[in-house]
Amino acid sequence: MTEKLIFVIPEVILLAGVVAVAILGLVRSASLRSKVPWVAMLFITAAGVSIPFVFTDARIAESTLLLPGLGRPMGLVSCVVALCLVLMTVGRIDRRYERAIAAGRMPFDPLRSNRGEYYVFFLLSLAGLMLTCTASDLIWLFLALELTSLPTYVMVAMSRGSKRAQEAAMKYFYLGAMSAAMFLYGFALLYGATGTLELSAMRDVLAAQAADGGIGILAVVGMMLALLGIGFKLAAAPMHLYAGDVYEGAAVHVTAVLGFVPKAAGAVAFMLLLSTIGWFDGTPLPLPILIMLWVMAVLTMTLGNIGALLQRSVKRMFAYSSIAHSGYILVGIIAGPGLGFNAVVLYLFVYGLASTGAFAVLASLQRADREIEAVEDLAGLRQKHPGISAAMAITSGSLLGFPPLLGFWGKLALFVAGVASGHVVLVIIAGVNSAISAWYYLRLVGLPLMSEPTERSETIDRFDAPWARIAAIGLAASMVVLPIFLAGIQDETAVERPAVENNAVSMQDSSVQDEAAGS
Amino acid sequence: MMTSTAIRIAELVPAVPPVPVAEVVEATSHWWAGFILWFPLISLVLCGLCAAFRVRSKLPAWITIGSLACSFVLTILLGNAEDVPERILLFEWISMEWLGGSFVANFALYIDSLTILWMSFVTGLGTLIALYASEYMEPDVGKGYTRFFSGVSIFLFAMGCLVMGDNLLMLYLGWEGVGFASYWLIGYYYRRPEAVAAAKKAFIVNRIGDLGLALAVYLIWATFGTVQYNELMTIIQSGDFSEVYEGWSVKAIPYLLMLAAFGKSAQLPLYVWLPDAMEGPTPVSALIHAATMVTAGIYLIARMYPFFLLEPASLHLVAWVGGLTALLAATIGMAQYDIKRIFAYSTVSQLGFMFLGLGVLTTYGAAYHVFTHAFFKAVLFLTAGAVMHGFAGQLDLRKLSGLRRMKGWRIVAWTMFVGCICLAGFPFTSGYFSKDAILAEAFVTQGPGFQVLGWLAIFTAFLTAYYTFRVWCRVCAGPVHYEPGDELHDDDHHDDHHDDHHDDHHGEHGFHPHAPRFAINFVLVVISVGALLAAVPYFMPNEVEGIKGGWVADMVHGSSAASGIPGHPDHPGSLSDSAHGDGHAHHGTILGMDPHSAMYYISGVVGGVGLLLAFWLHLWRRQDADRLRSWLLSRAWIRWLPVAMENKWYVDEVYHALVRAPLWLLGHVFHAFDRYIVDGLLVDGTSRLPRLLGRWFQPLQNGLLQSYAVTMAGGAVLIVLMMVLMMQFFQGGAVQ
Repeated sequence: MTEKLIFVIPEVILLAGVVAVAILGLVRSASLRSKVPWVAMLFITAAGVSIPFVFTDARIAESTLLLPGLGRPMGLVSCVVALCLVLMTVGRIDRRYERAIAAGRMPFDPLRSNRGEYYVFFLLSLAGLMLTCTASDLIWLFLALELTSLPTYVMVAMSRGSKRAQEAAMKYFYLGAMSAAMFLYGFALLYGATGTLELSAMRDVLAAQAADGGIGILAVVGMMLALLGIGFKLAAAPMHLYAGDVYEGAAVHVTAVLGFVPKAAGAVAFMLLLSTIGWFDGTPLPLPILIMLWVMAVLTMTLGNIGALLQRSVKRMFAYSSIAHSGYILVGIIAGPGLGFNAVVLYLFVYGLASTGAFAVLASLQRADREIEAVEDLAGLRQKHPGISAAMAITSGSLLGFPPLLGFWGKLALFVAGVASGHVVLVIIAGVNSAISAWYYLRLVGLPLMSEPTERSETIDRFDAPWARIAAIGLAASMVVLPIFLAGIQDETAVERPAVENNAVSMQDSSVQDEAAGS
Repeated sequence: MMTSTAIRIAELVPAVPPVPVAEVVEATSHWWAGFILWFPLISLVLCGLCAAFRVRSKLPAWITIGSLACSFVLTILLGNAEDVPERILLFEWISMEWLGGSFVANFALYIDSLTILWMSFVTGLGTLIALYASEYMEPDVGKGYTRFFSGVSIFLFAMGCLVMGDNLLMLYLGWEGVGFASYWLIGYYYRRPEAVAAAKKAFIVNRIGDLGLALAVYLIWATFGTVQYNELMTIIQSGDFSEVYEGWSVKAIPYLLMLAAFGKSAQLPLYVWLPDAMEGPTPVSALIHAATMVTAGIYLIARMYPFFLLEPASLHLVAWVGGLTALLAATIGMAQYDIKRIFAYSTVSQLGFMFLGLGVLTTYGAAYHVFTHAFFKAVLFLTAGAVMHGFAGQLDLRKLSGLRRMKGWRIVAWTMFVGCICLAGFPFTSGYFSKDAILAEAFVTQGPGFQVLGWLAIFTAFLTAYYTFRVWCRVCAGPVHYEPGDELHDDDHHDDHHDDHHDDHHGEHGFHPHAPRFAINFVLVVISVGALLAAVPYFMPNEVEGIKGGWVADMVHGSSAASGIPGHPDHPGSLSDSAHGDGHAHHGTILGMDPHSAMYYISGVVGGVGLLLAFWLHLWRRQDADRLRSWLLSRAWIRWLPVAMENKWYVDEVYHALVRAPLWLLGHVFHAFDRYIVDGLLVDGTSRLPRLLGRWFQPLQNGLLQSYAVTMAGGAVLIVLMMVLMMQFFQGGAVQ
């Protein structure tokens, strides 16, 4: 019990932040209210700093969690990306309302102000993501996943005044609820099949079953339903359909959050659940589960990329491309513990930074106080905004996985893990998909840098507040600079740290046999 | 001719000589060595800041000079501190491990004496030439000045990575980096179409070589499982690679490395970019395209020498390509009129000598020639630059004369003389000793046609002496006479600088050549003294017993190229040596004499004859040269020779016909394909596709919540049902 309490200290800090931000957002003084995002960042930083002290090597070694090494790297990755996500929203939330107050056209009304609320929901969602990593049983996992998702429904709804945002939020909420029902049903079946809610105990039961002639159909079907339901968070096929509408309907800073936070939580839940049903001392995943994951991965990548090819709207294009990235993440998950999981966490970091960067680019542009929509709006951007267009080019290149950039190393790690675990065909499919994605990513590189501005794109202006711009350019710079420190990053994002000697060895063995099984 | 005991490279296989292995010293005592790399990087950042803040002074030059000087001092300190090869980890860069394999490339330095030798002249000459450039680039202060010096800083950083890197990936990084810096600086005058074309040509021709390097690095990693020098050398040293040794990849590696070296170091068939690269500012020609970058190919082969010893035929090829390039470039250089171009062809020719040295098993000779050549060729280019600077871009040797009699130009004239006697290999100059070390070995080592190659090289040496002094006699000696060039860019009075602005009213009569001032003269004197003193290391006593050749031989001895030092116990020749127990009996001979002593006389005489010929035709009786020329041109049977030489043997034209024209055609075919098939059919097709697909997907992506829900749930149910059925079908209800 004390272990559980110690491991949630970062989340407790975030919850303290929730309270502080909620109160601060309702203060009458406009200058104090404008400090809200910075306070949120302060608490996120504090949570991030606490992580290395909470997840010490000794505690990780003694922990009874299923994947004890997951908390530390995922927590750090979440905090870093979350800082960028908050930075790009500074000066965006409630901007028209605040402008009206400053001009004296409206009085301050706590009921109408939602700047504080936005950050409250964001911090809650982030806390949900971090709680997912330390989940020890199915109830905790369910609650953590819902804590991640519920705030995002509200964030979508309140992100814009328009009806489109509310339509998007409704769709997102109902489909999310349906998927939650689906995976909850799966959890119920799993409980029925194993008689326990504890993930570690479940693993033991299922391992015993596997050794004793095979895992029962109840557990396998339960696992499938659970994975399909959680696939919604990842936006993995066939649960990806909502992504286009929701990403497009939400304001760009919320789209950026949707592109990372639920996705990361989904990936973590996948890793946790799959670790209960497979990879016991070197056995592979049960065949039906493996096939299902394969099908999901291939469908997700392919549908995502083809969908992105056809889009005219930038946000919709990124929505589909983020579906494709979920497909790549599934490759790493299929590769299993060890190399595979390490690659997944690294990829979440790399992808989170790059996609936040790309959305920050969109956030730093506007046309008559509205977001830009069409891809063509970016044409010839370099002439008026060289820095922003360079950031667009670099982040797109990184999302594509262009060699010296950070995205390349993430993708490489995933593919290496896939090959090492024997899923060569899957990696080839992923490679082909990467090549397809070059079509639209290179367009995002070429349009701002090489095309001539059109009449339409001439009217594009930069956003008033500089922070999105700063985030975009800083993230683009990090795509170039961070590969130099690649070894250090790999070290920090490794799920299996050297201290967990026994575990690491058995994982190594398991992937050896995976390879044998795969080939 | 050959005695039966002559060295056969073939005999040494598969006994690969041991090579020194670096001790792994983890960044303790010599941690500061990293700053040799960081200083140019710092200078780059500061130059960037200067550009950002629009500094309109000479500040960027002083930043660059200062940091390069710091690098140079550190290199010298490191040279004194270093006695065994060692490895200094700067930071961990790439380390990927998976089952049965790994790829580790850290940002680390591999310091051995070869590294120190190279870095000492790279940083030393870099500092001096940056000082020279601070005056030379004056007209551009406030415009391209910052851009120029950031280019120089990038170059020094990349060259440092190339030479000091601990693994082949860092070498590759540096290799591409210097290529980029070269492109950047050749195209410095980007308003001139020729400069842009030359920059592109250099970059594209180098692509071919770089492809070779990329493949070589990949093959080395695929074969030996590592790209780190110390591990590679350990594997080679252990001799425990007999299985892989038989493989084709080990045979392919040296040829691919060679391709890379021939591209970067401008050898046949890839030399064509270097003469055009003279479009860049002259300090760049001196630093990058004469003294340092172009020797990267020699460094690469010297560093990877053990790999070449595994495949002796590759060394024969290196020797022949080097020898033929030397001859070809020398014949072209004889017939050119542009001073910088003559020096450029002479660089190609001298690089050919170095490759000849590598091919005939004397890494020592090659390295020594690199060292001396760096000094004297830098002097020659810098004097040419001073002339160009002072005479408004005039470089035609027919339009300049009598420089040494003009006020303020004496230093230029006499430092050029120093450069010329070194290049010509006049007895007791540095070029004389380093060239002899190569020429003699061509007769000592036995290989296919090496004797012929030796005589060709001696003939080339004669041509070298002739064309070198042709320049000096025409430009520096004789009656005073000059015509300005067409770049009257600056008379020190104008403040509005226009690069391409030609003031017609200045004309010939109002033109006053402006003589170089302190910085240029100082640098010229220092480097030419250095060129003369470069002969001194030859006489330094060797610390290592059994080898000859002075300090440079000692430096090479401590590295992976050690087995290429004649007299070294591990020299391939020494195998037969030890069998006969006599240090000198095995030598090949030249006209019945020992090649080493014979070469002193032969090359001295040859150089002297070439020099006298040049003095006769171009100083004492210049009308004879014209008469000879018209005589040659009027005889149909010999007419082709001078014409072909003047037209550079039509190599560019042949390449144009054989490579560029087909590619151009292919490009247009692709363009048409892209335009009509891809854009016309596919893109327009895809724009119709959404509507087509739309009809399928409309039921799915119609924005209706219900249908989304049905599709999702239906998909999930479908998948689960399929899996369950499959389980029932295959396993009867249970898994595994």
